[in-house]
Amino acid sequence: MSGFRISHRKKRCLYLAAAFFPLILFLISLSLGTVSVTPGQVLKVFISKISGSNLEALPENITSIVWNIRLPRLLLALLTGAAFSVSGASLQSIFRNPLVNEYVLGVSFGSGFGAAVSLVLLGRHFPPQILAFGCGLLAVFLVLMLAEGARNTPLSVLLTGIVVSAFFQALLSAVEFVASPYALQALFFWLLGSFSQVTWADLFWSAPLVIAGLFLMIKMSWRVNVLSLNEDEARAIGLSVKRERILIICLATLITSAVVSVAGIIGWVGLIVPHAVRGLAGADNRLVMPLSAGFGAGLMILADDLIRVFSPYELPVGIITSLVGIPFFLYLIKRTPHSWS
Amino acid sequence: MEVRVSGLRVGYENFQLQVDQLYFQEKRISVIIGPNGAGKSTFLKALTGLIKSPRGTVFIDGYDLAGLSSRERAALVSYVPQEHSAALNFQVFDFILMGRSGHLHLFSSPSRDDYRKVEEIIAYLGIEKLASRKYMELSSGERRIVLMARALAQDSRIIILDEPTTFLDLKHEMEIVEFLKKLSTERQQTIICSLHSLDLVPRLADFLVMIKSGRVLAAGEMPDVFRTELLAELYDYPLQVIETEGRKIILR
Repeated sequence: MSGFRISHRKKRCLYLAAAFFPLILFLISLSLGTVSVTPGQVLKVFISKISGSNLEALPENITSIVWNIRLPRLLLALLTGAAFSVSGASLQSIFRNPLVNEYVLGVSFGSGFGAAVSLVLLGRHFPPQILAFGCGLLAVFLVLMLAEGARNTPLSVLLTGIVVSAFFQALLSAVEFVASPYALQALFFWLLGSFSQVTWADLFWSAPLVIAGLFLMIKMSWRVNVLSLNEDEARAIGLSVKRERILIICLATLITSAVVSVAGIIGWVGLIVPHAVRGLAGADNRLVMPLSAGFGAGLMILADDLIRVFSPYELPVGIITSLVGIPFFLYLIKRTPHSWS
Repeated sequence: MEVRVSGLRVGYENFQLQVDQLYFQEKRISVIIGPNGAGKSTFLKALTGLIKSPRGTVFIDGYDLAGLSSRERAALVSYVPQEHSAALNFQVFDFILMGRSGHLHLFSSPSRDDYRKVEEIIAYLGIEKLASRKYMELSSGERRIVLMARALAQDSRIIILDEPTTFLDLKHEMEIVEFLKKLSTERQQTIICSLHSLDLVPRLADFLVMIKSGRVLAAGEMPDVFRTELLAELYDYPLQVIETEGRKIILR
């Protein structure tokens, strides 16, 4: 009775596309940039790094550019795109609200504030992920509590999200005000959302958190489907709705804050990608969440490539995603009141 | 599996439902009627555990409903809401499959067995044509059937339905009635539902409960309770039950 479901063939095509789209962009992007590196040289860098021996004489700067600058940067772009997209897909489902994502719910600015405080008060060597996660949770639960008071309609969630975001933005400005010039310089780029300053040390904490979080969330994708029913229905089916929703919100906040604390605030990806994927694959989160991870990762690399190739001053990537995302958001608002997939 | 209610009191600020003693026998169709706002939905939700009932007031097959986890409760009772407001537009097959989720672990997806179960239910109901469509594209009659299919997938002995025929046209109303009777006779399901239209009551009910302003006005075998005086009192309206050709008909 496979006719009842999306055909296996279409499914396989979508999975392949979601895997190869980011992979190919990733490989191409290693050669891309102001210093041109041939794919052959990239390969040699990898071989020499993995085998631990310098097989052939490569210019030292090429090795360094590929291994220490481009590779962490691209890996972070992959993780960021995947994290925001999967958070967005799951949050839209469990809030039953197409307009919601980690950015709109205040998680991004909450985490941003936490990471900034960590940088300014605890210094560069203390992992910012901890405070970022704490403040991200604080922000999202603040939104939930306030929206509950306002009867929890889709728009009230949105408005409280905006208010809470504004509050954390103000706190963030206060942190900038008291920061030392040295810390301020680091803050500036990071706040606008950028992959350009990333090092291996940044990935050391964030990458495992994001990968573990994504894995658990995608494992829960069927649960996310059921949680998209209204609360009574999901409870009647046998779910502990409150507890399971909170678990998913915590995981979404975890991966978002892990990314924000190193890449800064990059908005709207979590809105665009899941909606586009639903257009291709339907509503089922068992497909939508993993596909969003793949396509989101690829799109983030693409956005970063555009910057590296076309803008001489390294425009922060957050600006590009906002320029694309906000018109899309307005379009969604316009057609939302009814169904949305 | 029978449902026993004793000393149940649930309510909101300006409304209280009070049911002292009531017993729903297993494998039968029990129907609840009453005017709008009498507390039918509240009562059904209390029986399903969707509204918390105090300890020792609702027993299902001897288990105190208040002491069960949502998972245990879902294995005993399933609930069919009046309408499903969709956030995501799922394929009907997946929508029915969701009924299996109470059995599943937090991190697992439906197994081959779950799929087989749903395929079985779809074949039993003869809704193969609906299975590959999307929920939002269905008519309201079709949606009711799909909601019931989801409740069946839950595999509980008791099914509780909140006004399953409201807003349906004549033909679809009768379809639902036939379908509920089929469930009760062929699958030995215990069915408790509220009904809006009185015409259907004699066709469907074995057992009848009348609720007025949060109190049970009368409860008993349908032929004993479905009487002019009681119905007129229930609805505060001078209606009349007449019998022609062995069928009870309401005149108003």
